[in-house]
Amino acid sequence: MLGSILSQYARSLAVLAIFLLMVLVEVLDIRDAIYPGLESFFNWMNQSSWIGVIGTTYGSVYATVEALHLLSMAVLGGTVLATDLRLLGIIFKDVPSETLVTGTHKCFGWALLMAILTGIFCAAGVANKVYFMEVFWIKMLVLIAGSCFMLFIKQPLLTSRPHTQINPWTIRLVAVTSMLIWFTVAANGRWIGFS
Amino acid sequence: MINELLLQFAHWMEAQEYSQMLVAGYYSYSWLEATHVLTLMISIGSLFIIDFRMLGWVMPNVPASTIAARLHKPMIIGFVIMFITGALLVYAKPVETIQSLWFRMKMILLLLAFINAWIFNNRLKTAEGNWDNDPVAPGPLRTGAIISLVLWCGVVTLGRYIPYDWVDCTNTTNTTILWAAGCVDQLNAL
Amino acid sequence: MNENGKIDDKTIAALSSAAIILGGLLYYWIGEGQSTVELLELAYGSFKFFNNPLVF
Repeated sequence: MLGSILSQYARSLAVLAIFLLMVLVEVLDIRDAIYPGLESFFNWMNQSSWIGVIGTTYGSVYATVEALHLLSMAVLGGTVLATDLRLLGIIFKDVPSETLVTGTHKCFGWALLMAILTGIFCAAGVANKVYFMEVFWIKMLVLIAGSCFMLFIKQPLLTSRPHTQINPWTIRLVAVTSMLIWFTVAANGRWIGFS
Repeated sequence: MINELLLQFAHWMEAQEYSQMLVAGYYSYSWLEATHVLTLMISIGSLFIIDFRMLGWVMPNVPASTIAARLHKPMIIGFVIMFITGALLVYAKPVETIQSLWFRMKMILLLLAFINAWIFNNRLKTAEGNWDNDPVAPGPLRTGAIISLVLWCGVVTLGRYIPYDWVDCTNTTNTTILWAAGCVDQLNAL
Repeated sequence: MNENGKIDDKTIAALSSAAIILGGLLYYWIGEGQSTVELLELAYGSFKFFNNPLVF
């Protein structure tokens, strides 16, 4: 009985487990216990890792990778906006939403991968600074939550059946959440430069 | 001659109260720049999806003209916001922007990108109908898409270089760079 | 809904995670907005796009 519920609602239980884990992390002050130990890793990233050394030594290489990071953000945002605005019924009204959901996913995946790889390089170049920035940690939290949401929640739901069989409010909620996630990631990313 | 006029114009803008207010504002310049950068997701994001479709990389099962037509409006809205915020960014820091080599190169690439977009649009109109459902667009349109991707990558990269001071008028003595960046005072002093 | 009329796993996961994330992000942005207004009001007496010492 329990086994069947576990397997039938595995995804929902995983969401619940992650939520409870986050509550525990906050309640038990685990974040405060882990945070100081990460400083040496960030310093190593900045001063000793080869990406950190390249980033801090060659300004032009760093700026070019920053530009690649922006370009991948643009493509990622483009695919997210095209898909989510279609899900909200604002654009692409004459193209089935299922077509957009499947058609843009691969491009989104590549853009996300590119953004993460260039982002690691950019973060390594200023790792000793971003370690102390709240806005950086919020970006990382939303990036991880957002990537999991897109890959393990949104896409599986929207490719599981025709969208007419999904409650329209569920679709709208998922679309708005996805847009706000990537806006937050991009805006906080830009704010790292101003902090 | 043109560089002297541009510099005079930049000094005139810099003396304006609103130009100074934009820079001195607690958040105004940051908000403006953040809006300029974030709007890339609407403008370049839409444009690249159109280009990618021409190359058959995204949604090859959707007619290319449909993708181009449906993304045209968001793309134009994005570019209008980018143009307004970009113009205000120049207005806020006119002298250093007008004398930036990267900014000048960016403007040239922007001009080339718009000429390419105009040619691309004309080709799209004349080519409509015969190939629309093909997963990959015909050769001339593919070439236009590749040129567009290269030019816009260049525009974004040069835009990202603008805040860096490697070749600012005060940081170089290379006469070619000083001439290209329009560093009037530094050239006169040589 | 699945064929038995029950809400299925993917829908529950989507609704719950979207509610948690959207709620968290709205809370974050409203908080950011409030703290920005408070900071500018404290520094300049009012909240304006052009808050700076040049404007009185």
